[in-house]
Amino acid sequence: MPAIVMVLIVGVLFYLGYRYYSGYLARRVYALDDDRPTPAHTMRDGVDFIPTNRHVLFGHHFTSVAGAAPIVGPAIAVFWGWGPALIWVVAGTIFAAGVHDFGAIVVSVRHKAQSIGTLTREVVGTRARVLFLLIIFFLLTLVNAVFAVVIGNLFVANPEAVLPILLEIPLAIGIGQYIYRTRSAALVPSLVGVVVLYVTILLGQALPISLAGIATEDGLFTERNIWVVLLFVYTFVASRIPVWVLLQPRDYINSHQLFIALGVIGLGVLVGWDTIVAPVVNDQAPADSPSWFPLLFVTIACGAISGFHSLVSSGTTSKQLDKESDARYVGYFGAVGEGSLALGSILACTAGIVATTADWHAAYSDFATASDGATSNFVNGVGHFAANLGVPEATAVVFAAVVVISFAATTMDTGVRLQRYIVQEIAEIVRIRAVSRSLTLSGLIAVLIPLVLALLPGGGDAGYTFGVLWQLFGTTNQLTAGLALSVIAVWVTKNRRNPIAVLVPLVFLVVMTTWALIDNLITFVAESEWVLAPLDAIIFVLAVWLIVEAALALRRARGVARDDAGDPEPTELTER
Amino acid sequence: MTAGGGLRRLGDRLARCWRRFERGHELLLVSRWRQGLRREARRRDDTLRTLLLLESLGVDNPVAYETLDAVPYLVADFHEWHRRMGRDEFGDAGMCC
Repeated sequence: MPAIVMVLIVGVLFYLGYRYYSGYLARRVYALDDDRPTPAHTMRDGVDFIPTNRHVLFGHHFTSVAGAAPIVGPAIAVFWGWGPALIWVVAGTIFAAGVHDFGAIVVSVRHKAQSIGTLTREVVGTRARVLFLLIIFFLLTLVNAVFAVVIGNLFVANPEAVLPILLEIPLAIGIGQYIYRTRSAALVPSLVGVVVLYVTILLGQALPISLAGIATEDGLFTERNIWVVLLFVYTFVASRIPVWVLLQPRDYINSHQLFIALGVIGLGVLVGWDTIVAPVVNDQAPADSPSWFPLLFVTIACGAISGFHSLVSSGTTSKQLDKESDARYVGYFGAVGEGSLALGSILACTAGIVATTADWHAAYSDFATASDGATSNFVNGVGHFAANLGVPEATAVVFAAVVVISFAATTMDTGVRLQRYIVQEIAEIVRIRAVSRSLTLSGLIAVLIPLVLALLPGGGDAGYTFGVLWQLFGTTNQLTAGLALSVIAVWVTKNRRNPIAVLVPLVFLVVMTTWALIDNLITFVAESEWVLAPLDAIIFVLAVWLIVEAALALRRARGVARDDAGDPEPTELTER
Repeated sequence: MTAGGGLRRLGDRLARCWRRFERGHELLLVSRWRQGLRREARRRDDTLRTLLLLESLGVDNPVAYETLDAVPYLVADFHEWHRRMGRDEFGDAGMCC
């Protein structure tokens, strides 16, 4: 099947989902009301609370939520064939991610634009706040670990990408300082910056940087592991630098790269008319491969549904919503944008990387090979799409690697910074003042735990498969989404509206995540993986805790709804 | 129509397109970043304001005499600050609200 046909089919399904299902959510589930002033108006402060045009806000929201995760998950999951991955991405986007992202904005807007963490305490209960902190702690730990491995693998596979990534740091600082100090229009310096970044790709091709000379073939000091250690040293230092000096300008350059990469994928697919050579269902997978059910639903988290989006939806987007009806466009369409990125990843790994089905089976011969090479497969696929547009393929591959590494590195920067805050907050709760009051100690903890996890995945017989670590990251992401969906479901129920549209993805997500955790736990114990097994067990306990809290909160909410059944209008209490 | 007039009109149209592109870029990508800069600047102002107003918060400020000079510069947005900090009213009657 030509890739463009898949794009058109998915495009139509996403359109129908947005047109009809999000319309149903807006009218019947979230009951949007444009006469109700939003916090952007009632709490306007010119910084966080600013009424913003919905197209502009969509741009802000989408560039905040899109990153490397919706690329890596589908790139691994096509191991089971493109059929299951595509169905989950499309159905997840329409019936789960859209409901979740849209709902998180609405609930936050109705609660003075409070963050999902605060809402968890207010709507679900005080205990749930601790649960939220713990889930976020494990989410950030695993985010930092998996992205360190992703970058390490890409540096090893593409030594030409190292120099551009290194030069991107002073380039970002330079652009940031120039625009900040001159207060001039940003377009020309930004375009110059992006062009210079891509010129450094040619420089990188002339001067590839490899650590193979100082690394060993196997053991702890492999080339990938040395890169991982260097990355964590960098993030520890970067997390101490004010955000406006490095993190924000880098994020700003990335937002340009996001639109450029999406344009390249879209145009490359259109011009190249490539055919999908991967099978719909991979019937040549080795017999001992992990089953797609239920692991598919935690392998693809971002791209189908991601709890991280609730943090953005309630953290910044809800503060800028001009009117309630804009939440549908910004939230639901933002989820569709993320789904499109996941679709791009599926296309790159099924139509872009190779020309024949036999070659594809070689690239996805077993789960370990598939997961270790997933990001490189995406990079090569996008490189092929860019080559369709006339860019030399070798240069195009480095371009794609630079885009993915830039996303992943910025996520790590942010992740370590946020993890430091979470470590400090947890230390404050358990009264370990030495940690809660020390930036250095909390920063070290934020870096060392994911570093250990990132050093363990091996290749061949050493360590465990990277895809397993990725799946654990997926479970924490899905639990965060589960918590946000619980908050949304409780709020919808309290307001005497039918919560079924929220409950179905909530129950599905919690059941699949718990199932996947049990499945993996049995495997880890059988294979004596004594780092992963306890980690999996802890996340399983958090999942059970989430189920209990959600059930109790929903029961209380039904009680409140019954008590208020005589009221003609929802009261302030039910609205809160 | 002269060749010069046609070129001028083409130049005007290109300039209009460029300005629209610049405006769109500013709104879509740059404003989010500038918002981050404003947020960071405000966070630093908040820290300074908290230090200046330690005594109002019930904490002894050993350098209150020295920092008194800086207070008028931060009074202008004092009301917005204490509301943002979660207190609808602040200080003695007549001081602010």
